Amino acid sequence: LPVSLPKVVLKIIKHYQEEGQGSEVVQGVLLGLVVDDRLEITNCFPFPQHTEDDADFDEVQYQMEMMRSLRHVNIDHLHVGWYQSTYYGSFVSRALLDSQFSYQHAIEESVVLIYDPIKTAQGSLSLKAYRLTPKLMEICKEKDFTPEGLKKANIGFEHMFEEVPIVIKNSHLISVLMWELEDKSTVADKHELLNLSSSNHLEKSLQLLMDRVDDMSQDIVKYNTYSRNLSKQQQQKHQYLQRRQQENAQRQSRGEPPLPEEDITKMFKPPQPPPRMDTLLIAGQINNYCQNVKEFTSQNLGKLFMAEALQGHN
Amino acid sequence: MSRFFATGSDSESEESSSADEITPKAPGTTFKQSLLLSDDEEDTKRVVRSAKDKRFEELTNLIKTIRNAMKIRDMAKCLEEFEQLCRAFLKSKNIVDKEGVPSFYIRLLADLEDYLNQLWEDKEGKKKMNKNNAKALSTLRQKIRKYNRDYETEIAAYKENPQESADEEEEKEPEDSGSSSDSDGDGGDEGVSSKSFLKKKPEAASEASKFLKSAKGSGDESSSSDDDDDDEDWGSDTVDSGSESSDEGEGRSASLAVVFLKKTQDSDKPSEKKLGKKKKPKKKERLEEEAEEEGGEEVEGGWEKVKGGVPLVKEKPKMFAKGTEINTAVVVKKLNEILQARGKKGTDRAAQIELLHALAAIAAENNLGQGILVKIKFNIIASLYDYNPNLAAFMKPDMWKKCLDCIDELLDILFDNNNHIFIGENIAEDSENLAISDQPFRVRGCVLTLVERMDEEFTKIMQNTDPHSQEYVDNLKDEGRVCGIVDRLLAYMENKGSTEEICRIYLRRIMHTYYKFDYKAHRRSLGLQGESKSEQDQEESEGEDSAVIMDRLCKFIYAKDRTDRIRTCAILCHIYHHALHSRWYQARDLMLMSHLQDNIQHADPPVQILYNRTMVQLGICAFRQGMIKDAHNALLDIQSSGRAKELLGQGLLMRNMQERNAEQEKIEKRRQVPFHMHINLELLECVYLVSAMLLEIPYMAAHEFDARRRMISKQFHHQLRVGERQPLLGPPESMREHVVAASKAMKMGDWRTCHSFIINEKMNSKVWDLFPETQRVREMLVRKIQEESLRTYLFTYSSVYDSISMETLSEMFELEIPTVHSIISKMIINEELMASLDQPTQTVVMHRTEPTSLQNMALQLAEKLGSLVENNERVFDLKQGVYGGYFNRDQKGGYQQKQGGYQRGGYRNQNQSNY
Repeated sequence: LPVSLPKVVLKIIKHYQEEGQGSEVVQGVLLGLVVDDRLEITNCFPFPQHTEDDADFDEVQYQMEMMRSLRHVNIDHLHVGWYQSTYYGSFVSRALLDSQFSYQHAIEESVVLIYDPIKTAQGSLSLKAYRLTPKLMEICKEKDFTPEGLKKANIGFEHMFEEVPIVIKNSHLISVLMWELEDKSTVADKHELLNLSSSNHLEKSLQLLMDRVDDMSQDIVKYNTYSRNLSKQQQQKHQYLQRRQQENAQRQSRGEPPLPEEDITKMFKPPQPPPRMDTLLIAGQINNYCQNVKEFTSQNLGKLFMAEALQGHN
Repeated sequence: MSRFFATGSDSESEESSSADEITPKAPGTTFKQSLLLSDDEEDTKRVVRSAKDKRFEELTNLIKTIRNAMKIRDMAKCLEEFEQLCRAFLKSKNIVDKEGVPSFYIRLLADLEDYLNQLWEDKEGKKKMNKNNAKALSTLRQKIRKYNRDYETEIAAYKENPQESADEEEEKEPEDSGSSSDSDGDGGDEGVSSKSFLKKKPEAASEASKFLKSAKGSGDESSSSDDDDDDEDWGSDTVDSGSESSDEGEGRSASLAVVFLKKTQDSDKPSEKKLGKKKKPKKKERLEEEAEEEGGEEVEGGWEKVKGGVPLVKEKPKMFAKGTEINTAVVVKKLNEILQARGKKGTDRAAQIELLHALAAIAAENNLGQGILVKIKFNIIASLYDYNPNLAAFMKPDMWKKCLDCIDELLDILFDNNNHIFIGENIAEDSENLAISDQPFRVRGCVLTLVERMDEEFTKIMQNTDPHSQEYVDNLKDEGRVCGIVDRLLAYMENKGSTEEICRIYLRRIMHTYYKFDYKAHRRSLGLQGESKSEQDQEESEGEDSAVIMDRLCKFIYAKDRTDRIRTCAILCHIYHHALHSRWYQARDLMLMSHLQDNIQHADPPVQILYNRTMVQLGICAFRQGMIKDAHNALLDIQSSGRAKELLGQGLLMRNMQERNAEQEKIEKRRQVPFHMHINLELLECVYLVSAMLLEIPYMAAHEFDARRRMISKQFHHQLRVGERQPLLGPPESMREHVVAASKAMKMGDWRTCHSFIINEKMNSKVWDLFPETQRVREMLVRKIQEESLRTYLFTYSSVYDSISMETLSEMFELEIPTVHSIISKMIINEELMASLDQPTQTVVMHRTEPTSLQNMALQLAEKLGSLVENNERVFDLKQGVYGGYFNRDQKGGYQQKQGGYQRGGYRNQNQSNY
């Protein structure tokens, strides 16, 4: 149960506001400590945006420097995870999987905080913490992404990530700041939540969803050919073995020595199985989009009904 | 003489001729020597020899050896020598080019072939032959066959009457031998008949015997001409060889006349010969002097001059000797003689034409009857056509005039003697009847071919004249004459000709009619007003409409023609004519009925060009009638290629220059349509672009958001893009710029601007004024622009209106309310415009049923999901293997619980659990 202090949330929002635009993604390191059964995230710092110009920039070096400096000022410096912004909820990717795996592998309690600035801009803070499930950890450890491996692990896209509930605790100072900010903000900003226009958001989501579906289709076609090839080869292998057996039986009856065993695997090289992890991720992503759309539409429906009622009232 | 018998051939005379031919072949040797000895002894006395002499000597020597080898049946040697001979002949090519193929050479070729064939037939003899010889025989036989193909005509001519010519030569020989020792230079004593053979033994035959003999050599026609040839061949030789021999040569050229004279006489008056004989020496003396003068000059020049002058010019005055009775046979013989020279390398074609004319004059003078005149005319025209050796070159104006005159005269004669003269290609030479005037004349020849050729020549002249010069106009004036001739022949053929011939002449007539706009008929159809009475009367008397003529001629061809090509051409011309005169429906129906569009690509290029022209004319016609869509479709093929110029045969494209060689270019040039038949390319392009604009702009407006919209006209889009790329947009200059500017205005629904761009002074002078009914076309165009602008406006701006009054629209586009109503109704019916008409208020109410982009996307997503599911099912099928897939399994009860039918979500879950 991670508890993140609002300082962290504000910092993340600020980071995105300053550096991230559009579909660009910002990332940073979470610092904190484990208290009882809770993970308390008390601080964070961003990864600097590095361009191609300074390719020799050492991220790890930077992180170490940063943590050392924080330690000097007596702030929590323990690495407990990382955060990332997202664009219309598209974050389920190989990169995320890999880095989260390495975090979780090194520091067991690590989480990834996903911050959705667009949803947040619409009036409701969207911040989610994820961890890889133990099953997925195992698979990643073994690096076995073949269909068989995944099948054995019996893992579906639903079981890849587990969401960790978040509790945000504000210090009084922060609360005061928030109040003041709210006071200052215009009416329009405050009522963003009630905005009825929906098509833009939905369109974007659908667009992204469609892209994923296309990818999915391709993967399925690939898998289809693979399995067809596999079964064909299986058949051939089977026939070959049968023939060989018959021959041996005949030889035996004639009193001849059986044919020497040959390396069957050499003769029938199984086709390269397509990695299934990507498919899994895509499925996860699709699921994510669907959730998003569902959430969004249900909220909007509610709003629309409200608006209708209001109109009727007037 | 023993060698003569040694050949032991069955055709004695021929064999003997070949045997004896050796002798004359050596100009250097004396007559005696060559007769007595078969060995060639060079006459070493001679020092000055022309190149020709040398070459011919070489040839004759070789021929001699061949003949020797033939006698002893040494095939190997024969073959060897023959090959050498061919080489030598090639070497002397330039001389041969000037002189014509020497007759002795032809003689050898003919004889050798005969000889070989004979040997070939003789199976027994072949068996006896040794291997080498047999092999050589077959090779030689094949070789000579191939080789002789090039000299077919000459050989045929020789074979026709080897004996006569032999006689002729033979008789001359002794005569000449008296005057000079070089007399054998005349190569001619071949084909020695048994009689002449006997006579040869006494070396110099007596005059008397010669006369006797020539008297026996009865009425041979070609001998004189042969002699003529001979003279050409050998004249130079004799001149060059010194004064003595030149004397002889001149003498012989003079003697030609004598011979001719002799021949004419020997049919009835042998005694006259003496007269000719006496004349000869006198002439000889005179010429001798001349020749001596010439002899001093450069050798080459000398003989060339003689060659050009002697046989033709000098001869001309004495075409027929004085006092000769001119009759048909004589003239025919002379005619044939002149014709013999036709097509030969050394013949002066201009002089030949002159000769024929003179002959015609003589024939007319002597009242020899129309038959012979017709025959001569035929030949004159033929030689006129022959005048240009090159197919690409065109006739010179004077030649052309002469040709037209001749054909006219010929036709005059034919008309005057309508029932008296039969002409036909299939009348054989010998069944001709030229003389007997109480029977119908029969003349070999085909007027139709001559006229067709004339027509082609006319086209060629027009193609080769600068179309912007006065000369072109002058030449074009002849078109009337050509048409007149065609018309006259047509009238003649209708009476006389076979169906096939009538079809051909009809096609000619059609070809001269189809592209001309019939102003008279047009004016007449416009009604009587505005024309003065007298003019109309004049017009009416001038004959039927071209449309009627076309109809009659074409229908005849449709019914009677059996060659596909003539019918195709006739149909195309008919369509063209209809289209030209704005009879759109007839033209279109004819085009569709003929199914030409399906198989025109198999036709030859000229027909294809005609087809293209027709399609273009059809398109322009459709445009004039306001059938924009049809116009666009008809013009699309021609315009989209960007090679309209080439496809219409109106010029060659420069960019193709490197792709084709000179030969192809020549061919293509010959296909070009003469300038006066051209279709204005700018008009064509403008019509196409305006049609495309009227179609494309509303379409673009209607499908603005359609991802899968296609272009109607690529070319039009290309022009639009070019217009957009302009960095600076000035006022439009060219026709294209006008159309682009108009299109832009139309896009905004601004029909007034569009109108002013399409129809203004510049465009009028460039394009619209070229139409026959300018005003009507312009009115139609304005109306179309208004209508299409209205449509475009509605497509583009319907989304900003909830409703719009039809009255407003009618005001905006200056259209009557019913028209607006009908246009909008059409759009609604075609589901182009989502709206309804509100009758009481006369307004259009928009419906807004277009799917939003979100809806569009949702639909797309659904589609994609569908295919995804399908793919998934396939994977599933594989997994299930033998059971044959998901659906079967479904029935078996895997999903029995879901009785209400399977749901997609249902099995998707199932699938997903498989991961």
